[in-house]
Amino acid sequence: MNDRVGPTVSRPYDHHDSRVAASGDRITEPPLDFIGWLRWFWRQLTSMRTALLLLLLLAMAAVPGSLVPQRTADPNGVTQYFADNPDLASALDKVQAFDVYSSVWFSAIYLLLFVSLIGCVIPRTRHHLRALRAKPPKTPARLGRLAGFTTRDAPAGTDAAAAIDSARSLLRFGGYRVALFESGSEVSISAERGFLRESGNLLFHLALIGILIVGGFGSGFGFSGQRVLVEGQTFVNTLLAYDSFKPGRFFDEERLDPYTLALDSFDVEYETLNLKAYGQPVDYTAGVTVAVQGKTARTDEVKVNAPLRVAGTDVFLLGNGYAPTITVRDPKGNIAFTDSVPFLPQDANLTSLGVVKVPDGLAQQLGLTGFFYPTQAKAQSGAYFSSFPDLEYPMLTLNVYAGGLGLDAGVPASVYALNTDKMTQLTGGDTGTKSLELKPGQTQELPNGLGTVTFENADSGATDGDFSGSVLRFASFDVNNDPAQGWVLLFSVLALLGLLTSLFVPRRRIWVKAIRRENGSVCLEYAGLARGDDPALEAAVFTLAKRHNAVLAPTPPSTQTTEPI
Amino acid sequence: MFALALVLAFAVSGCVSDSLAAQYREGSGKNYIAGDGTVTEITAENRAAPVDFSGTLESGETATSADYRGRVLVVNFWYAGCAPCRAEAPDLQAMWKKYENLGVGFLGVNIRDRTDTARSFSETFGITYPSAIDADNGALQLAFSGVIAPNAVPTTLIVDKKGRVSARILGRISDASILDALIKTALEESDQ
Repeated sequence: MNDRVGPTVSRPYDHHDSRVAASGDRITEPPLDFIGWLRWFWRQLTSMRTALLLLLLLAMAAVPGSLVPQRTADPNGVTQYFADNPDLASALDKVQAFDVYSSVWFSAIYLLLFVSLIGCVIPRTRHHLRALRAKPPKTPARLGRLAGFTTRDAPAGTDAAAAIDSARSLLRFGGYRVALFESGSEVSISAERGFLRESGNLLFHLALIGILIVGGFGSGFGFSGQRVLVEGQTFVNTLLAYDSFKPGRFFDEERLDPYTLALDSFDVEYETLNLKAYGQPVDYTAGVTVAVQGKTARTDEVKVNAPLRVAGTDVFLLGNGYAPTITVRDPKGNIAFTDSVPFLPQDANLTSLGVVKVPDGLAQQLGLTGFFYPTQAKAQSGAYFSSFPDLEYPMLTLNVYAGGLGLDAGVPASVYALNTDKMTQLTGGDTGTKSLELKPGQTQELPNGLGTVTFENADSGATDGDFSGSVLRFASFDVNNDPAQGWVLLFSVLALLGLLTSLFVPRRRIWVKAIRRENGSVCLEYAGLARGDDPALEAAVFTLAKRHNAVLAPTPPSTQTTEPI
Repeated sequence: MFALALVLAFAVSGCVSDSLAAQYREGSGKNYIAGDGTVTEITAENRAAPVDFSGTLESGETATSADYRGRVLVVNFWYAGCAPCRAEAPDLQAMWKKYENLGVGFLGVNIRDRTDTARSFSETFGITYPSAIDADNGALQLAFSGVIAPNAVPTTLIVDKKGRVSARILGRISDASILDALIKTALEESDQ
C-alpha cells in the first residue's frame, strides 16, 4: 500500500523525513582509521540486533547459575559441592561458575547490554524531541497514491478555506497536530498523530535501564541475614545474633534497626485425610512476638510466602524442623549441658540429622551425632526410618564420641558437623556398643562412666503415649532488606505502561485538501499514511470524510463518489 | 558514561570485598558472625547516651545498669560453643582478677546457651565474674544494640563510669594488653 513511503525497519517510528542523501554513482568505502573503527564498533554495539543478541546471551549465561550452587545464595551448598566433586569443583571455580552473577563474563555481557541500551536510547530520545517540535510535513501533491484516498464534492456554496478550517478543528479534536498549507487553488491541512507511540517506546527502554541500575546498585545497600530459632528463643536484629549474614556491597552496620523477634510457637498442619498426600505439610505458622526498641511488643505470624514486615526488614520463613532438648549430666548428676539442638531434616518425613557438642563439664569433651525420627519405623533391613513427619512415636539415636572437639584453639567449626579426627567413637559403628536410643523423657548411661544423657520431654505434663508436644520445633528465618524493591516495582510498572502505549497507539498522518474548481465548486480530498502497522487507517480516513461532510452540510449531499483504494 | 560503566563494573564484579561478605561466602556453618579484633574507641564527647539494662544472671539474680553506675564496666558477649570465646576466656578472667579490687565490673552476656551450659563453661575456665543469660529474651543484646553495637561474637565493650559505651573490641581479644589498656584509660577518666 505504501511501499514507497513506508518507514524502514531500522528507523525509529517517528523518523521524520530527512533530506535525500546526495546521490553518488557508486558506494565508496573509506579506509577506516582508529577513530573510524571506534565509531564502527559503537554503531555495531548500539544496534538493535546486538542488543537482542546480548539479551539472549545474558539469559544463556545465567543458566549455569541454576545448575551449580552459588556462593551468594547457598555457600554451604558450594562447600558441599567441593567435598563431593573436588576435581570438577576446582575446575568450575576457575571459570567462576560458583559466582556466575558477579563473574567476569557475566559482567561483560551485562555491561555491554547496558552500554548498548544507553547508546541506543539517547540518540532516539534526541530524535524524538526534535520530531515532537517539527511541523507536520507538507501535503503531498497527489493524494491519490495514498491510503484510504477519498474525494467528495463539497456542498454548494462551501468556501474552501472554511471547509479546511472545519476539518482542522475535527482533526485537532481527534488529537492530531495540524499545519495549514496553501498553494494556488488548493488549501490543505496536514495532520499527524501518535507521537505517544515513540514516547512509550522510549519510556519502556528508559525504564529497563532504570531496572538495571536499581537492580545493580540499589540492592547493594540491602542485606539478608539468617537465623535459626527454637521455640522460646529470641533473636535481636544485630550482627551479634545472626547465624550468617550477607551484606550488600554498600552495607553499613549502623543500618540495622534494633528489634527483638521471639519465636513463641511453631505450628505445622499435616494432611491426614487424603491418603495420596498423607503426611504432606499443609500449612506452617510461626507465632512470633516482635518488639521494636522503644515501642510495645506485638504478636504476629510468619508464614511461607507471607513475610513479616518490621523496622524496614522483611522476615521470611525459610525452613523448620525438630530441636530435641538434650541434657548431659556428669556422673555426680550435675548438668554439663542442656539445650534444644536443631536437627536438620533429611527427608519429607523429617528424619533429622544433628550434632551435639558438649565442650564443658565432663571428664572429656563429648560429641554426639544422631538421628531423630518423629515417627520411628523399622525397615526389614533393621534400619530405622521415619514414617510420618509429626510426633507420633519419636525416637532419638545417638552415637557418642569423646575427645577434643577442636573448639578451644579459637578456630571456628561448623555446628552441623563433628570433626572426629581427635575423638574416639564410643557407641555405634564398629565399636561393638549399640547406639544410644532414647524416647522423650528417657535417660541413658554414657559409656566409660562419663555420665548420662537425657532426651527431655518438652511437654512434661503429657499423658503416657502422647508425644504430640514432646519435642520443640525450630524455624529458620531470613531477615531481608532491599531498599531497591520499591524502585524496581516503579520501573517495572513504567516499562509495562510504556510497552502498552507503544503497542496500541497508532501513528498516522492524514491530509485533507480542498480544491477550488473553476466553476466555483469545491472538491475535497482525503488520504492517510500509516507509520508502522495501522490496519485501522483507511477506516479512520473514511470516518473523517463522513464526519467532515456532515459538519459542512447537515443533510447528506445527493452526489458523491468514493474511490476506495 | 565511561565513569558510570566503570563504577558499574566495580559494583557488578564485586571487587569490593569485606570480611562480612567473605564470611558469608565461606559457608563454614559456624553459625556466628566473627570479628577480627578491631578496636573502636570513642572520645568522651562523642559517646552515645548511657545504656540502661537489666538481665538475669546464671545465679538467678538480676543485674541492672544501676549496679555499675560510677564504675567502669566490661561487658563480654559470648556463648560456650563459640571457639574464639573459649580462646579469650582466660584473658578475660585474668583481667577480672587484676581489676576486681579496683572497682571495675565484669559482666558476661551469654547470647545462645541455657544457664547450666553457661555454668559448665565458667567452671571449665574458672570464670568468677557473673554472666547474664540472654538467649531467651535478648534484653541485653537489645539494650546494647545501636551505634556502637556488638557486631560480632565475641564482642567486648567497655562502659565508662557514666554508663556510656567508650570502647569496643569486635572478635577475639587478640592480646590481653589491649583490654588492659582500654580499662586503664576508662579508669583514668574523671568522674565528671
